[in-house]
Amino acid sequence: MFLTVDARDKHPIYQQIADGVKALIARGELREGMTLPSVRQVAGDLGVNLNTIAVAYRQLQDEGFVTVRHGAGAVISSRRPRAVTETELYKPLRTALTQLILAGFTDREILAATREQLALLHQKGDSR
Amino acid sequence: MSAPTEFELDIICITLVVLFYALYGFRQHWNFPLRRGPDYFFGVQVPPGFYQGSGTRWLRSYHILVIALFGIVAMALAAIVFTGRWDVLPLWFGGTAILITTAMVIFVAWTRHKLAANPPVLPSVAAPLESRRLGDYISWPVEALVAGIVAASWLLLLFRGDAREDWRNPVTTTWVVLGLFPGKILLIRNSFPLPPERTEEHYRLSEASRRWSLRYMDAFRWVVLAPLAFYALKHSWAPALEYGWLSWAFVAIFTGLCLWLIYVLIDQRRLTAMSRGLRPAGSWATPFRPARLLLSGGLTWFGIWFSGLILLLIFFRG
Repeated sequence: MFLTVDARDKHPIYQQIADGVKALIARGELREGMTLPSVRQVAGDLGVNLNTIAVAYRQLQDEGFVTVRHGAGAVISSRRPRAVTETELYKPLRTALTQLILAGFTDREILAATREQLALLHQKGDSR
Repeated sequence: MSAPTEFELDIICITLVVLFYALYGFRQHWNFPLRRGPDYFFGVQVPPGFYQGSGTRWLRSYHILVIALFGIVAMALAAIVFTGRWDVLPLWFGGTAILITTAMVIFVAWTRHKLAANPPVLPSVAAPLESRRLGDYISWPVEALVAGIVAASWLLLLFRGDAREDWRNPVTTTWVVLGLFPGKILLIRNSFPLPPERTEEHYRLSEASRRWSLRYMDAFRWVVLAPLAFYALKHSWAPALEYGWLSWAFVAIFTGLCLWLIYVLIDQRRLTAMSRGLRPAGSWATPFRPARLLLSGGLTWFGIWFSGLILLLIFFRG
């Protein structure tokens, strides 16, 4: 199970890390109760600043994906984000759909791509 | 058979170590640049056909260096044997380690500078999501046993010593044994980023290398610890001097430990097999970190540990 950070990605590094952890939770690779490595370890492994990882972990904690316990580190708490409404959850989906429509995709193509991506997501989770 | 004297014991130990270095060390060093396969020279990625062109010159100059280094070491040992100056043997050991280590580090750094003036920069980097805890790598009961043996040896020497002891021996071995512990912690905490391609294989190799290095340090520590315990026993318990079997038992234990150390070193072949075609740790840069030759803090720890050992061997008069 690895986290990948890409310097070419337009998202900031902390966001890539938080998204990476969320993707692993979504695929079922990171399960409730599992502990994430310490901020120092991840920062050392990726060669990035300690604060970058701390910000990513804090974001995950704020969104309810991890619980930071003193001495135990960051523990995966739940697959369902806390205090997020459906409207908020659909917001990034709507942005992505808008981009696909603007890129010239038809509804049929968008549905096919969504099914494909969803299958891929489940497949990765199953191939552990 | 009469018990070996302390001098004879030293000779037996030295012979074992020298034999080992002569047979294994030379062979290991000889093949070192090619251990990653034909795509690499000393961890530097080389273009296809390198070994049909300029690579032969690089390899030849490296082999000349190895022959020269081992030749110098062998000549120095021959001079000690012929002149009977056994008192300078510790210096020979220290000198050998310094000479070979320094020459290798300089050669590798020079190689990287010349062959890879611009080490590849990979735009993305991966990190494992598995925690590395000290307890996963270190056996605390074994650490306690080592500390207990060191403490017991010192208590015996301080309170029941026969006043004939040479303090250089216990002081030096204690420094070596205890000094390895921070080195182990450094190794566990050490990290190099993983490349985005073949990440799983790179991770497995990095973990296997970490565990192998720890095993090697442990084996080496026991090889040093055994003489300390035996020395303390011999100088604190008078009957120990009368029992020949005790000396032979020590030789047997020491030989066993040396064989274990050799086995661990030979087991390095497993890592060599795993590392073929993979990027050596620290040989490539990331957008967040430059390429590195050594693990961070490693040189400082080794410098303090090793220079302390050399200073004790040269200046400490017990």
